[in-house]
Amino acid sequence: MQHNSNNEHHSNSAATNGEQNGSSLQLTDEEFDRYSRQMIVPGMGKDAQLRLINSKVLIIGAGGLGCPAAQYIAGAGIGTIGIIDGDVVEPSNLHRQVGHATSRIGMKKVDSLITHLRDLNPLPTYVPYTYPISRENAADIITLYDLVLDCTDNPATRYLISDVCVLLCKPLVSAASVQKSGQLIVLNCPPTPQGKMDRKYPPCYRCCFRKPPPANTQLSCGEAGIMGPVVGLMGVAQAGEAIKILASALHLPQSSSDTTTEDDPHNLIQPTLLIYSYDLNAAPGPYTFRALKMASRKKNCFACGENSPQTLTLEGIKSGNPNYIQFCGLQTPKATLPAQDRITASAYHAARESGQLQNHILLDTREKEHFSFGSIDGAVNVPFGKLLMKAATIKRDGGDAQEILPLKSAEDPIFVVCRRGLDSQEAVEKLKELGVDHGGKRKIVDIIGGMRAWKDEVDPSFPFI
Amino acid sequence: MSATPKPAAPGNFTILYFATATSFTGKNVESLPAPLSLRKLGDVLEERYKGIREGVLGHSLVTINLAYVDVPEEGEDDVIIQEGDEVAIIPPVSSG
Repeated sequence: MQHNSNNEHHSNSAATNGEQNGSSLQLTDEEFDRYSRQMIVPGMGKDAQLRLINSKVLIIGAGGLGCPAAQYIAGAGIGTIGIIDGDVVEPSNLHRQVGHATSRIGMKKVDSLITHLRDLNPLPTYVPYTYPISRENAADIITLYDLVLDCTDNPATRYLISDVCVLLCKPLVSAASVQKSGQLIVLNCPPTPQGKMDRKYPPCYRCCFRKPPPANTQLSCGEAGIMGPVVGLMGVAQAGEAIKILASALHLPQSSSDTTTEDDPHNLIQPTLLIYSYDLNAAPGPYTFRALKMASRKKNCFACGENSPQTLTLEGIKSGNPNYIQFCGLQTPKATLPAQDRITASAYHAARESGQLQNHILLDTREKEHFSFGSIDGAVNVPFGKLLMKAATIKRDGGDAQEILPLKSAEDPIFVVCRRGLDSQEAVEKLKELGVDHGGKRKIVDIIGGMRAWKDEVDPSFPFI
Repeated sequence: MSATPKPAAPGNFTILYFATATSFTGKNVESLPAPLSLRKLGDVLEERYKGIREGVLGHSLVTINLAYVDVPEEGEDDVIIQEGDEVAIIPPVSSG
């Protein structure tokens, strides 16, 4: 098997410190050995491999998506790999964040992941950013890279990343995953300047998802849970798309400039949103993978549409316009119950212990999975979503509040507890709305801070998830 | 056993629910009567699942037959969901 190893090429052990990354013209012996198996795949080859070696990829997030994505990006030999994340490794990460390790609990995730990656492949240049991406730093960092992977975990950051990628003309591979769902899409590829609408262009994140979900439906992996293989699959697929784009130069202006606006031979102008749905009760079925064709750039898109240069600029982003936190509804605090309708966990516990609360009802509105790990003695579990649906039905069709929870007397007080003390407040309001408090004769209160507070104030051994 | 999805019964279309739409409705898929104006889809779903408009539909993508559609505003041409179509409700997932 022949390969290039002539003396003209500027390889030697300098390859390992990345000095030649960015301008390699030939493969070193080590690169040849490492990447041989992918190079012989039809569509790859030496030039494609060199494109990877000369590319710079930024991975935003070193968690459930970032770890598997980074492993394959590094393994494939992408020359410069930046990783940004402010978090620290915790035990609850390790069922899915496979770039970390038990021995590195407590370490910054970025440092932990790079430790793993360097051992997998020492040839790339790894650039750590051990702080979170923000509106102040996003543009200065993203501008240094050829392609961005969004491996983050909240909508405000996703909109920020997409906006900056539009303004800086960077292709964006965006994946997301929670509980039993995964999504993946290639955006802004090839990148097109803001405002251009003379033909069909690839969409940005806002073209696809114009509005974020309401703040109270935004569940983190810590709240809703996540299966390792679901997020792992999306992270690996994300790396696959990044490698493909760089190896095949899909992010560069396509040479066929005389194609009609209906042509989309590379599925870039109307990219596909890939959806993965994992069912704990059934093997894969026809809906397990779904591929949905998105629309091209939208005329009225805030970030990249016709008038977007007036509405979105880099300077604006740095100075807080748009306000991503506000846009995603995270700033508006939910109306809290008045103090007389609330009780602290310790006060509730004390009242129980002293025998003051002989016949009371304790309603726990957490999901049954959370409830199954532990609950306060005597609690009745009615998951919050179910409570809301039943309340709505009773309100609409008439009916008895007994359908929500059995009530033996008209006077026994009801105490409501949830995970963190937010849902419980709304539950109290709903019960009062239905007249369960009999105009104030029955006391209905919630426990401030929920089961989190119970663990902190009353029972440190309580298994809080 | 066919690997392709079962077509909806005559006079119906199929609607698929993903991510939080699945948790909200308790279903992955169901059949609804066709034809139905896309603008009216929100009303029909809200009838069956109170709160779904605000909790899910308002920020979700809608697709018909595997392609994205804009839900038409007042004054815009309506889109009619036909018998045998496959509609999907896709809330964005943000976590990871």
